[in-house]
Amino acid sequence: MIAAKVEEYAFGGLVAAVGVFTLVDATTIAGRDDNVVGPRAFPYAVGILLVVTGIAAIIATARGKLGQAEEAEDVDENVRTDWLTVAKLVAVLIVHLVLIDVVGWPVAAALLFFGAAWTLGATWWRALPIAVVLALLVQVVFAYGLGLSLPAGIFEGVPFLDG
Amino acid sequence: MLLEGFATAAQPEYLLYALLGVTLGTAVGVLPGIGPAMTVALLLPLTYTLEPTAALIIFAGIYYGGMYGGSTTSILLNTPGESASIVTALEGNKMAKAGRGAAALATAAIGSFVAGTIATVLLTLLAPVIADLAVQLGPADYVALMVVAFTTVAALLGSSPVRGLASLGLGLFIGLVGTDTLTGQQRFTLGVATMSDGIDVVVVAVGVFAVGEALYVASRLRHGPIEVIPVGGKWMTRGFWARSWKPWLRGTFIGFPIGTVPAGGADVSTFLSYAAEKKLSKRPEEFGKGAIEGVAGPEAANNAAAAGVLVPLLTLGLPTTATAAVIVAAFQSYGIQPGPLLFTNNGPMVWALIASLYIGNVMLLVLNLPLVKIWVKVLQIPRPYLYAGILLFAALGTYAVNFVVDDLIVLLVIGVIGFFMRRHGYPVAPLVVGLILGPMAEEQVRRTLQISEGKLSALVTSPFAAVAYSILVVLLVVAVVLRLRRKKSEVTV
Repeated sequence: MIAAKVEEYAFGGLVAAVGVFTLVDATTIAGRDDNVVGPRAFPYAVGILLVVTGIAAIIATARGKLGQAEEAEDVDENVRTDWLTVAKLVAVLIVHLVLIDVVGWPVAAALLFFGAAWTLGATWWRALPIAVVLALLVQVVFAYGLGLSLPAGIFEGVPFLDG
Repeated sequence: MLLEGFATAAQPEYLLYALLGVTLGTAVGVLPGIGPAMTVALLLPLTYTLEPTAALIIFAGIYYGGMYGGSTTSILLNTPGESASIVTALEGNKMAKAGRGAAALATAAIGSFVAGTIATVLLTLLAPVIADLAVQLGPADYVALMVVAFTTVAALLGSSPVRGLASLGLGLFIGLVGTDTLTGQQRFTLGVATMSDGIDVVVVAVGVFAVGEALYVASRLRHGPIEVIPVGGKWMTRGFWARSWKPWLRGTFIGFPIGTVPAGGADVSTFLSYAAEKKLSKRPEEFGKGAIEGVAGPEAANNAAAAGVLVPLLTLGLPTTATAAVIVAAFQSYGIQPGPLLFTNNGPMVWALIASLYIGNVMLLVLNLPLVKIWVKVLQIPRPYLYAGILLFAALGTYAVNFVVDDLIVLLVIGVIGFFMRRHGYPVAPLVVGLILGPMAEEQVRRTLQISEGKLSALVTSPFAAVAYSILVVLLVVAVVLRLRRKKSEVTV
């Protein structure tokens, strides 16, 4: 309960901080005087909206009005937040975006699918072949079906995979 | 005009696109964790190779299909889901558990078909008329409409107006990033070159819907077997028709107007329809235990509202739901601006699109009644693979926009923000609507003030704008009064 409150304060603070940034950074936008309303007016309005709502969210939290977490079919309301899983998924996404330009899309994509499925509880020897087949399939469909070539990386020059 | 549209839409190629759209739409509607907004966003980059008419027919199919599929999930899955179909879950789920799942699915599908078709007829009749009227609206009037849309989407719907407005603010901020269209000034680009084109709508939509949702579900994933209730009982009996047809029609005429005005889309209409059916029923004691009227009415209202949303979307360029906002982005990516001139400038395309809605509805009836067993199988996809797949296609869809890795970094950041928004009751729809409407609103405000030479009063003196703001004030007062009353009754309890 306390942890949830700290998080709510932090998110409200983040919203307000984005607002402050908007207001401060808006002053640096070069404006032209001949325009009745220049490029700065709207950013100021958005900045004020963010600061006000951010502070209001913090006040609401302080008064005990916490936000209701969203419901979804696959969400179990009775379990605690599994931060480790979230961190692993974020890490898998980072590995994916770093590897695209290094080893190519098919390998990076297979690792993304395999990593995510495994993290979420799939058996590794079942997830691995599915990941590889799916990544290669998408690569071929993109190259030949849509005429868009994803970087082939280590498969460069390989027929079907390098579009 | 509509006949010409049918002539276009009935070509085998377009029929195939419509079928692809409704099939995809139903599939994603059935699958938990993916909504129509996200699917349209994901497919956006993949359709750049298609011509606009084909792409929009696919999107329309996804839009309608998602509505059908959602009801299957809420009837057969043992857990609550998508907001628009929660009411269906209430009664439909009870019916399924009592061994009358077949009747619940049938009344949902046929009701969706009846409502979808009638609402599409209304759309066909109304849209050109409204477009003709809308041509006369000035920039100040558009500002008024957008302010109404912002306020209703962010503050009136949802449980926390403050959090809705904060979400709207974040969307407006993301919309500011890039080069100012009127003066060419860089705004909030942090000196990064790729930011000067702005942050792509696809990246934001996929980030907040797909990555945000996947991370959120993963953080509290329901483990163990997926409990799907077996489909039991008779499909259609005489009592079925007798008890269903009135709720279908009532639901349609509740849903369509609510979808048309920028006042919240499907959710509100399903609740109103449910309340109406409960009040009018001869057997109110059945409600809460599996009353077929409680499925038939809200399902019809849901679909009619979905068609209603297309009226302001096509005639004013005004999206009032997250999915509609993403569809506007789809139009824009083809250099087409939805609005009053759409029917004059892109007549053949719009009419083909509307014709495809009729065709799509027929296809959906076939897909969802005889083939429902297939969708039940789809429901049982093991969750690790489902969410891994969502992440993979989110990354792919984002990367395919510009083929730069920078976009994936933005995707991840926005996904994490979406994750925290879900944890703390910040609705994500206002963010997407703000992102799309923000730049348009800014442009119209500045045009108004340029014409009036800086007089702020010009924003409210146009008769149309004045009426719009008055209605908004009345709505806000009603909302505040209702909220206070609810609080009072809570205190007395």
